[in-house]
Amino acid sequence: MQHKQTSLKVLTWLVQSPLTYCCLRPILDLLNMREENPAYRIWVRFLLDVTRRAYARKQPVIWMSAFAPTEIAYGLRAVPFIPEIIASLVAYFGWSHRPIALADSHISTDLCSFYRCSLGLALEGFFPRPDLIISSSYLCDGANKLLHYFSQIYGCPHLMVDPPYRDGAAGRRYMVDQLKGLAGTTCKLLDLPLDEGYLSQVLTLSDEARAYMAKINRLRRSAPSPLPGSEGLSYLAGMNFYSLGSRWGVDFFRSLYRYLEKKVTRGQGYLPREKSRLLWLHHIRPYYRNEIFQILAERGVAVSFEEANYLYWPPLDPSRPWESLADKILSNVWAGPLERRIEAIGNMVEDYRIDGVVHFSHWGCRQSCGGAGVIGDWLKERGIPYIILPGDGADQDNYSPGQTRTRVEALVEMLE
Amino acid sequence: MAGRIYAGVDVGSLSSEALVLGDDGVLSYSIVSTGANPQRAARICLGEALARAGREEKAISRLVATGYGRIRVPFADREVTEITCHARGAHYLFPTTGTVIDIGGQDSKVITLDERGGVSDFVMNDRCAAGTGRFLEVMAAALETELRDMGRRSLQAKKGVSISSMCTVFAESEVISLIAEGQRGEEIIRGLHEAISRRIFRMTKRLRVREEITFSGGVAKNEGIAETLKGLFGTQINIPEEPQIVGALGAALYARDMEHRGS
Repeated sequence: MQHKQTSLKVLTWLVQSPLTYCCLRPILDLLNMREENPAYRIWVRFLLDVTRRAYARKQPVIWMSAFAPTEIAYGLRAVPFIPEIIASLVAYFGWSHRPIALADSHISTDLCSFYRCSLGLALEGFFPRPDLIISSSYLCDGANKLLHYFSQIYGCPHLMVDPPYRDGAAGRRYMVDQLKGLAGTTCKLLDLPLDEGYLSQVLTLSDEARAYMAKINRLRRSAPSPLPGSEGLSYLAGMNFYSLGSRWGVDFFRSLYRYLEKKVTRGQGYLPREKSRLLWLHHIRPYYRNEIFQILAERGVAVSFEEANYLYWPPLDPSRPWESLADKILSNVWAGPLERRIEAIGNMVEDYRIDGVVHFSHWGCRQSCGGAGVIGDWLKERGIPYIILPGDGADQDNYSPGQTRTRVEALVEMLE
Repeated sequence: MAGRIYAGVDVGSLSSEALVLGDDGVLSYSIVSTGANPQRAARICLGEALARAGREEKAISRLVATGYGRIRVPFADREVTEITCHARGAHYLFPTTGTVIDIGGQDSKVITLDERGGVSDFVMNDRCAAGTGRFLEVMAAALETELRDMGRRSLQAKKGVSISSMCTVFAESEVISLIAEGQRGEEIIRGLHEAISRRIFRMTKRLRVREEITFSGGVAKNEGIAETLKGLFGTQINIPEEPQIVGALGAALYARDMEHRGS
């Protein structure tokens, strides 16, 4: 028992030490030397850098929920820290059991496992102390509540991005005022200057990354599919959430674009023989070891695109940063009326020549459970095979291998 | 004896079935308990079915495995899910089938079919085994009755007792409490059947159910559940002579198709 507690203390110290991330970088660079996709290496370096800076505490640390715009944190020269992203990484390495079990003694097991994992990690003392927390009321319904709980644990202020249900002129004005107010309050609380010129530079970076994202998405229309959907749902979606507004984001998306461009020019798909193409709905997949993507790959079924990487927002105008950010938030197709999301899914089905659709139904996720049935009806009316795949993104105990295999294989058989 | 033969092996969680098919129809079948070794169960039921058909294993042109243990049948030429196989088997037996309800050992599924017997849509129960064959086995043990007698006994009851829990563990405790309260076994069984049927009926609401409905899987042998389902759907339900072999039949039909297509 004592030995375990000592090990935990050592581990916590290592995780909290910025030096750890400096040491890890050359080691991981060496391990990733054979990785043919340079964007993946940038993702690893970005994570090490942003985590090191969060623990170094030379800049204010702002915790954010996954859908809160990171441009605000970068624009205020703060370090963003997104607990859900860290939870997905912890799940990827198969370490989520312990933090989830710890969180379950504090909070309902009905809550999304990414949040429970984050809470457990925070309670264990693994996370960097926040100076401020910003959450968004879209899309995840638990974000505000959990991040408010975090603000109580750490005794720091909590601010919220709360967009209106519909866009339009009135909604835009409301959102612009809210963002200005949020930035102003943040500056006051953290004693930071509000430098709109710097925010415009951050938006220029975000827009540069967006332009490469658009190019990447166009390349991904090619058959055979150049990038595995499993990767689209991991580091690509991760950078989409975490890096926009930073130089890292531009480097990553540019690098991925160039890598995919070469693959598409060579007609090189990620599967040896692509028989059909799937669209993956929902922003996540199970990150722990599972068979889903292997089963699909073995049968020649490519996950060609994921709605997590659908580019829903218009180009940003760095000279009008607040209006641009408001437009980005308000154009999110997963917030607001379901018709917008259905229209986007229709576009993806057409653009990516989709044969079948999987809607991953993550345990505890309320943001998509209502829409899943309506989307299914819409797709089935158009003759597109569709399954709701129940599972859990972070909690392996909620994964049922036999039933998952049967559901996935039955979908493949419907495609055949 | 000449002629090509094809085999389907359905390895379920509780029972395994093998069916031998010729070009002119079903030659034989066998049903065994799966036990702890699915591969062995597959081998035994296939051996029995072949013996009944008077044929040897080397005479099999193609063999398709299905069921949850399909990946544990190394001698299969192909694996096909039980969803697709039950659809195919039901369509063969009842060509105008629009919907299949399959309740097996640990899964229940509702499958809608296209005109050719292909799957157009399906729903499965979640991880919980409530309302499946295993659930009924546990309840039969709690009631100290034979599984095969449950259907007949439930039909003797005028009404069912309300069962509030469908979790196998909690329902077992509830059944024991009901027995202790002096409730008649027949009424408890009917209550269980009604609860299972309601659960299946609710699953079908997620699909566009098309008539005719065919009921397959081991639980379809329970005439009590078949009756309550008929009442809920308000229509006749096809029940195959041996509902447990529908998956293996579908698998054998796929095996025959493979041979004919040369794949």
